[in-house]
Amino acid sequence: MRKTMLSLSVIGSLMTGVAFAQDADAFRDGFIAGDISWEEVQARAMEEGEVNLYYWGGSDQINIWMDRFAVPALAEEGVTLNPVRITGTKDAVDLVLAELGSGRGLGEGSVDAIWVNGENFATLMRQGAVMGAFADKLPNSVNFEWNPEDPRSLLNLRDFGVETNASEIPWSGQQYVCAVNTDRVASDDVPSTFAEMRAYLEANPGKFTYVKPPHFIGNTFVQAAVYAHNPDGTGAEPFQSSLDELGAEELARLIAPGMEYLREIEPLLLGGDSGNARYPEDPNALNGLFLNGEIDFSCQFGLYGVATGLRDGTYPEGAEQFIFPEGNMIKNKNYLVIPANAPNPAAAMVMANYMASVDSQATKLEIAGMPPGVDPWRLSDEDAARLDAASPGLVGVTQAELDANTAPDTNATLVDVIEATWLEYIERDSEESISSIVATAVANLN
Amino acid sequence: MSKTKELARHKRDRTWMWIQLLPVMLVLTVLFGGALVLGVAQSLGFAPWFGVNTFPDFSYFGALWGDSFFWRSLGLTLYYAIAATLISLVMGVLLALALVRSFPSKSLYKYLYKLPLMIPYTVGIALAVIMLGNGGMLSRLMAFAGFIDDPSQFPQILKTHMGWGIIAVYVWKQTPFVALTIYAVLLGVGRETEEAAAILGANKRQVFFQVTLPQILPGIISSTLIIFAFNIGAFEAPFILGGGFPDTLPVVAWRYFNDADYTLQLQGMATVVSIALVAGVILYSYLAFYRRYERRIGRH
Repeated sequence: MRKTMLSLSVIGSLMTGVAFAQDADAFRDGFIAGDISWEEVQARAMEEGEVNLYYWGGSDQINIWMDRFAVPALAEEGVTLNPVRITGTKDAVDLVLAELGSGRGLGEGSVDAIWVNGENFATLMRQGAVMGAFADKLPNSVNFEWNPEDPRSLLNLRDFGVETNASEIPWSGQQYVCAVNTDRVASDDVPSTFAEMRAYLEANPGKFTYVKPPHFIGNTFVQAAVYAHNPDGTGAEPFQSSLDELGAEELARLIAPGMEYLREIEPLLLGGDSGNARYPEDPNALNGLFLNGEIDFSCQFGLYGVATGLRDGTYPEGAEQFIFPEGNMIKNKNYLVIPANAPNPAAAMVMANYMASVDSQATKLEIAGMPPGVDPWRLSDEDAARLDAASPGLVGVTQAELDANTAPDTNATLVDVIEATWLEYIERDSEESISSIVATAVANLN
Repeated sequence: MSKTKELARHKRDRTWMWIQLLPVMLVLTVLFGGALVLGVAQSLGFAPWFGVNTFPDFSYFGALWGDSFFWRSLGLTLYYAIAATLISLVMGVLLALALVRSFPSKSLYKYLYKLPLMIPYTVGIALAVIMLGNGGMLSRLMAFAGFIDDPSQFPQILKTHMGWGIIAVYVWKQTPFVALTIYAVLLGVGRETEEAAAILGANKRQVFFQVTLPQILPGIISSTLIIFAFNIGAFEAPFILGGGFPDTLPVVAWRYFNDADYTLQLQGMATVVSIALVAGVILYSYLAFYRRYERRIGRH
């Protein structure tokens, strides 16, 4: 008798597992088709009970915000938020792909959402590993511009040039800015173009470096240099097309002057006098060099990095931001994506909806200094004013100056090639021509 | 009758022996052997889960070994491993020889020298960064005392291809290990033979090279084998304290694995297999050489 009961309960639990997976698929299809109301999503989310958000955990300020604001807010919705802090976004992407490869579908994986953009999102899309078009169907999706007719919608519809198809929702917007310690560098000496940067380094050798590609912060610096040296003078414009549209030869012609520049300044970078320029591995290492006074300028994503650093006392009092490189300060957004095998799809959507709310965007801006991902012109005056008030503020530059010098990101299919070219041409000092390096890199990618 | 009994006992003994061997055998063949086979297969182009299956394909090894930077990376890897092993060996033997003598506060010192053994490598690396880096304690003290204007002018110790930082961390951690091993051997053999040699007129040098050294040689071989095998495959110290490109082979492999492009993982696996090959050949010939020496002096 007991044995029968036991085997029955085992069979029962197995069956609910199968039923649950099928049920999750139906739920996804229903929600995307618009047949499932938000109340039903909330009810299902409560049943699921938890959501696992994988994100880069290298910033104390973001972690504190997550624990003190996001976790309690989602607890009110009956969902336990598990913040899984990882050192590289690729780890979460690997996990999703490995689990998908072993046949675990929706409702059966372990990653509910990933903080992502650029190449990692492009990988997920290429492997068909995203859940689907949820982002424009959340209640808070009204805070974003989705109309493709409006050019301002670009960053919501494309992530590094890859169409998002609403399978990820913008979380934050960032711009690449450089910081300087004005106690060490006279304001007249602060460069605003790449030519002025070289002149500064000739007078002060070794006082600058950038993060090593393939880290995306390093890739972004290389992209800015490539934009600024575009032989046609069209800046970022041609780099919005994909590799197939542009072709390897044209790409090589466009990036060659920028790569030449980066090779020429290499002996003037930190450690360059000993013949071995030092490129830090990540933004934390770059920050360390800047705060120790080993380098005079630190360039990375972080519109409010200096303001929050000053507030926390980690930055020296003379720290300021400055406009560099003029007209080519790359701006992009980062997103929350729900993978195809999210174990708790409804809870993931409730979480994404919270992350898109003005309330969470304002506290995140204030505590973590992360610029809002929502579009201010879509908000009520009251909400827009609330975001303004929460901003830690810019130091040394104005919003108008930043807006006037904005450039878009490079298409994700080109990023891999530009990165491979940097590794070959700058790091390995290859004697081959740039066009043959680019041709090899393109051939290796296919 | 007694013969069958004996046979039965013999059989029981054999069964018991297999039971004793089984757990380790299982771990070695299934976990280690399985991973090794999979790694070699992957480095030869077998990775259907990334949509790559060109097995057997030697192009990954060809690309790797045909690149001059691979040989420079290998040179750096061997340089850090051998330099650290030799320095640790000399310091460890000196320490062990000192420990068998008696000196004031010896009992305290015997605990003190083991301290690095209990501290993880990562902590040692962090210590090196805090003490020796260009924003570290030493450079700040020097700047404070006025020897240099600015901590960044402090001579570069870490993050150079000379690898002082890497070697320092290895030596700091491995000297006590060598000392511990040799000390145990020295305690085992006692001091009688040394004293006998001294009475017979041998000087200190002769005592060390002709009496003590042959006695502690098995300890030297086993401890250097272990630390060299660790050093050649270690990742953290060269990654954090190394001089950047060209990196040591484990760091090269990590870069391949960490790239957003999945197909590079096969190249990474070829790097890992190359490390295993190099380490295997070196360790095997080291041991074979030692066995021959042992046979020559009549030890079996």
